[in-house]
Amino acid sequence: MKKCDQFKSQILTDYMDKELNKISIEEIESHLLDCGDCRVFFKEVKNRTVLPFQQAMRQPVPEELWDLVKQNIEHSNHATVHLENFIGKLKGLITFPRMIPAFASLILMLLAGSVALNTIQTQRYQEKDQGEFLVALLSSTGSQAFSDSSDLKTPIEHYFL
Amino acid sequence: MEDINKDILIRAAQGDIQAFEDVYKASSSFVYNVAFRVVNNREDALEVSQEVFMIIYHKLKNFRFESSFKTWVYRITANSAINFAKKNARKKTVPFEECFGEGAVESEVKAHMDQEHQASLVENLLGELNADQRACVVLRDIQGLSYEEIAQALNININTVRSRLKRAREKFMSLRKKMDYEKVRSI
Repeated sequence: MKKCDQFKSQILTDYMDKELNKISIEEIESHLLDCGDCRVFFKEVKNRTVLPFQQAMRQPVPEELWDLVKQNIEHSNHATVHLENFIGKLKGLITFPRMIPAFASLILMLLAGSVALNTIQTQRYQEKDQGEFLVALLSSTGSQAFSDSSDLKTPIEHYFL
Repeated sequence: MEDINKDILIRAAQGDIQAFEDVYKASSSFVYNVAFRVVNNREDALEVSQEVFMIIYHKLKNFRFESSFKTWVYRITANSAINFAKKNARKKTVPFEECFGEGAVESEVKAHMDQEHQASLVENLLGELNADQRACVVLRDIQGLSYEEIAQALNININTVRSRLKRAREKFMSLRKKMDYEKVRSI
């Protein structure tokens, strides 16, 4: 058997707000028929804490509210457009036009090609210089080195023999 | 709060101002009244209502219709009003005793609970609660939301709704008893 305190606790919230199931409602209503103290409590709660709010007049919405909301929306849309333009300009500054990477690759290829060509030419000059040097060396030692005279007495043979 | 057609919501989400006006018309009474009762004065309620509609306007494009639009509006309104009330807690309304203390009792008897008195009573009783309790009372007793709807709107569980309402009503009972005592003493 529930005590009055338990009934009062339910009356204060769930019963008053119609949040109970049918069985619990019947239980409370049957108790209210028998218990004068809980009946007084129920009336007090209803009249003093719930009805004043349920009967409270709805406040009319001030007419200026929609105008204020509309103004705010227009202002925020304006601000959004400005922000989008600014971001667009910023992107234009930061991002490269599409052709720039292509041009950059072409220039790099040209540079690499010219460096390679230069290296080949330098090598050729060096080889030519070496050839000329050998020719000069041989001419300075005389044609005897390769003379095919029969006695084979070239300066080199003299040196070794 | 009135139901709003999904097509209107979609058009409003795409920035159609006419559709948004329809959304406003369907929800403004709920938004303003909740804001008014939670912050307890007209100017602040106007400010909170503007904020609520700006949030709805900007976030509507992300609304996925997974929950009810009504619940979503309840949540935005209740949260905005509670946050505003908590921020401005120092600017409290007239204390209960000032309105219903010794001096006021005589005029109260004469007034016989007329509408003006009723409005003042509601305003002052709400003024005695903290913002969280006030939101629960407003959503339950003035707007008629169920415990489940209040729990969803405030993102709390049903037992918390129940306990906040219980504490608020216990406080109202004790304040009204105090008022009766003052009334008897003055006679």
